[in-house]
Amino acid sequence: MAKTDLKFGKKLKKYGAVDFNACYNCGTCTAVCALSNEKDSFPREMVRYSVLGLSEDVKGSLKPWLCYYCGECTAYCPQEAKPGELMMSLRRYLTSHYDWTGLAGLLYRNLAAYLVAFTLIIGGIVGLYASNTFQFEEWMHYGHLFEMLAIGGVFAVIILPNIIRMWYSTVWKPTKKFKLKFYFKAISELLVHMFTQKRSLSCDSDTKNKIWWFEHFVLVLSYLALLFTTVFLDWFSATNTIVVVAGYVFSGAIFVVTTDFVIRRMRKRSEKSTFTHPSDWFFVIWLMLMGFSAFAVRLLVDFEMLQSTFWVFLIHITVLVQWALIIVPFGKWTHFLYRSFAMYFDKVNKLSK
Amino acid sequence: MKKKVGVYICHCGGNISDYVDVEKVREAVGLEEGVFLAKTTIFACADSNQKEMVQDIVDNELDAVVVASCSPKLHEPTFRAVTERAGLNKSHYVHANIREQVSWPHSDNKLGATEKAIHIVRSAIAKVILSEPSEPLEIKTHQAVLVIGAGVAGMKAASSLAKMGTQVYLIEREHFIGGRISHWDVLCTTDETGKELVTRLYNDISSDKNITLFTGAELIGSSGSMGNFTASIKIKPRYVKSACNENSFEKAISACPVEVPDEFNFNITKRKAIYHNFPSEYPHAAVIDIEHCTRCGECEKVCPQIDFNQHEETIDLKVGSILIATGFDPYTPHEGEYGYQVIDNVITLPQFKRLVANSDENLLWKGKTINNIAYIYCVGSRQVEGENKYCSRYCCTTTIYSAIRANKKFENLNHFHFTRGVRTYGKQEELYHQASKEGQVFFQSFEDDLPVVEKHNNKTIVKINDILTHKMPIETEVDLVVLVTGMVPRAENNISDILKIPKGRDKFFNEIHMKLRPVETVIDGITIAGACQGPKNVVESINSSLSAAIKSYSFVREETLSVNTLTAVVDASLCKICDACAKACPFDAIHPVNIGNKEVAGITESVCKGCGMCLPVCPENAIQLTSFTDNEVEQMIDMLARD
Repeated sequence: MAKTDLKFGKKLKKYGAVDFNACYNCGTCTAVCALSNEKDSFPREMVRYSVLGLSEDVKGSLKPWLCYYCGECTAYCPQEAKPGELMMSLRRYLTSHYDWTGLAGLLYRNLAAYLVAFTLIIGGIVGLYASNTFQFEEWMHYGHLFEMLAIGGVFAVIILPNIIRMWYSTVWKPTKKFKLKFYFKAISELLVHMFTQKRSLSCDSDTKNKIWWFEHFVLVLSYLALLFTTVFLDWFSATNTIVVVAGYVFSGAIFVVTTDFVIRRMRKRSEKSTFTHPSDWFFVIWLMLMGFSAFAVRLLVDFEMLQSTFWVFLIHITVLVQWALIIVPFGKWTHFLYRSFAMYFDKVNKLSK
Repeated sequence: MKKKVGVYICHCGGNISDYVDVEKVREAVGLEEGVFLAKTTIFACADSNQKEMVQDIVDNELDAVVVASCSPKLHEPTFRAVTERAGLNKSHYVHANIREQVSWPHSDNKLGATEKAIHIVRSAIAKVILSEPSEPLEIKTHQAVLVIGAGVAGMKAASSLAKMGTQVYLIEREHFIGGRISHWDVLCTTDETGKELVTRLYNDISSDKNITLFTGAELIGSSGSMGNFTASIKIKPRYVKSACNENSFEKAISACPVEVPDEFNFNITKRKAIYHNFPSEYPHAAVIDIEHCTRCGECEKVCPQIDFNQHEETIDLKVGSILIATGFDPYTPHEGEYGYQVIDNVITLPQFKRLVANSDENLLWKGKTINNIAYIYCVGSRQVEGENKYCSRYCCTTTIYSAIRANKKFENLNHFHFTRGVRTYGKQEELYHQASKEGQVFFQSFEDDLPVVEKHNNKTIVKINDILTHKMPIETEVDLVVLVTGMVPRAENNISDILKIPKGRDKFFNEIHMKLRPVETVIDGITIAGACQGPKNVVESINSSLSAAIKSYSFVREETLSVNTLTAVVDASLCKICDACAKACPFDAIHPVNIGNKEVAGITESVCKGCGMCLPVCPENAIQLTSFTDNEVEQMIDMLARD
């Protein structure tokens, strides 16, 4: 039998949501939510679990990932309990729960931990530069090597185990069923949602939301394309004109979209962009810095000025390392995978019912 | 027998005349014996027609009048006043309803409607011909009011009555005034303490010369009626002289060897048989609980003010009206109800409130620190099995408010409310919002699936299938279970027997009409105020007490009261005093009297309501109702049945 545990609610508050206790269970949030339906009823259910502290039910649920935070629930909540922000916080909590290292939780709960980790990396890079270990050419070479190693390492050591943990919590533990054919049947869900986020289009039918979706879509594709361009086509050293131009386009697109996202979060005009957790700021700003610094580095390469303005490359590599070692494995980056895997696992669960 | 009757048949614009041939009615009834004049009129109630009627009556020396028009509810008083203005006794007016009873329901059958109208008017004529004049009864009043119960409602009513200039006798059964309010620490939503409220009210009543307060005083008998009651009051002694010295009294308390549960704290603490009043209880005078006193004499040795020679006395008070404000009792759960008296950490809401008020730094129950508290709502209210079907109105708010107060006073408390739907109506809703924001948890279930309190391995667990969480079975471990008990009528309250005022199905005193006559009882001159009428919070009690005060004042304002008499009348020559009528009378209006040398049933006119209950039970047919004699009714029926 489920047991109440008020400590759980207090713990959740450290992930951002602070007002959900005001809920008086009217269900307006669930009624106005365009994504909630009879089979998947949220966000009130999630608010209720959080108020009562039913942590096992939260950990086993995929529903927080089914929400794309349009903010309608928060806008209509008569008690100002901010259910949308709670769903966001639950995603942060679940990210921490899936993470076997515990570092995700530490970083989400403590801004100071984030800052320390970032500073350590800056210190490392600056130290490495000061020690004159590498020559200019070596920096370029090892930078590229690092990128490849980081991708492989983070994926193998952190992300893959975490996705398996997610599967264990949300599929195996609640259903105790495993049929391989369902995993093949449902695979399209994973790919479609990973690359298109099409579900967020049903969030809200107005044009603003469609624009937001399009920007996000462009951002995801540009990010993946830039990753491919820099890692596998070695953009910074490439000579093929198509590769060089493509890199400019992708990094430029990342910079433009993320700049718009930062402006949105500063203006706070929509519910979606009203509440910004430190992890949100880090995610969007670092993505913006990546796009900008990569663009700048390649520009300096093309003008053969990189050697004289090497600090630009140092900034780029610092941003890159911070991104690859902190934000990707333990920060908001993971929502890219967890969301699409949630859709995938949800489909698997539904098939096995 | 009246011989010159005037009959007026109204068109009511067209409401009547569109379906009833009023001319034909006039012609038909104009021929009736005794009818002197029959007229039709477009609007009988119009001012011009009223003037014409007066003129007709005076000019033609008419001795009775019938108007055939709308419902008597609407215009009977109007035309009765017209006949009075023309110098006739108002009994010589009879109203015939040919709109609601004829034209409106029979709009599809004009011929039949006209025929029915003729019969109805004829029967009214038959009644008015036999009518006898009646005069209002004049009652000499005692210009004083007895207020029973010195709680918040009684005190407010007493002070309001006294300010209007009436003598008030305020009696309180307990030795201390203040009623339930004196128990409570802080009250929502004004954050005043019960003590503050009681102190203000006590200052009001004790400074008013028009108010005489009796404590330890109980109503034991009553006679008479509206304007003229005699109430017998039994007054218990305190066994302590009023000039009690504080120091020697403290010594007497410590000397007393008897310990009994303290009702003031709802039995969660003990007091001595000689006890000190609590700060929120007035008057500040000591009392000996003579029921539990063993007369060991220890207190007398240290306190010279103790006086066991005081005696109970009975006094009679003459008053014109009685205002009842006897309040409520908190519901006492039966043994085993949610673990009450079976599980040692299950208490009631009043006990919890006293516990919070009495605790200083830590909230302890039986020596254990309390962190998690469960509140089970609607205990003794909205019962499925039991008799208390009503909602007690105040408990949701009080519970939430108490939890908020406890949070202010103590640290690390978690509150779990097991509700059946929260009813914090009006401004009180803000308390609910505040409690939720504080992280207090609310569950809900319906009456068919109530929460369960269990004890396992020294752990107290409350289980519920929570409808707010898709009926998920959820259990919560708590340190204290508070049963949110509602209001029930006062126990051992024989006031309704003494004063013969009826109780409702909920066993609270009944008003005449919930909306339109909310503080009057069916016994004229007796009003009800506060929670003796049904669950009320302080605000609602005060509202009703002020309204009852005004209503009681209306009975004693003048030296005489004039009452319309529609009463039963006994024919002394036929009565054989079998007592059947007295038993049938719901108002205790019939008592034996001597007329000549014969003992017959006598009817107290001021008490009789003319309900007619005594008529059919009389084996000698010796009782008639004024204005509705057998003869009148038979004649009316004959007319209705005539071709």
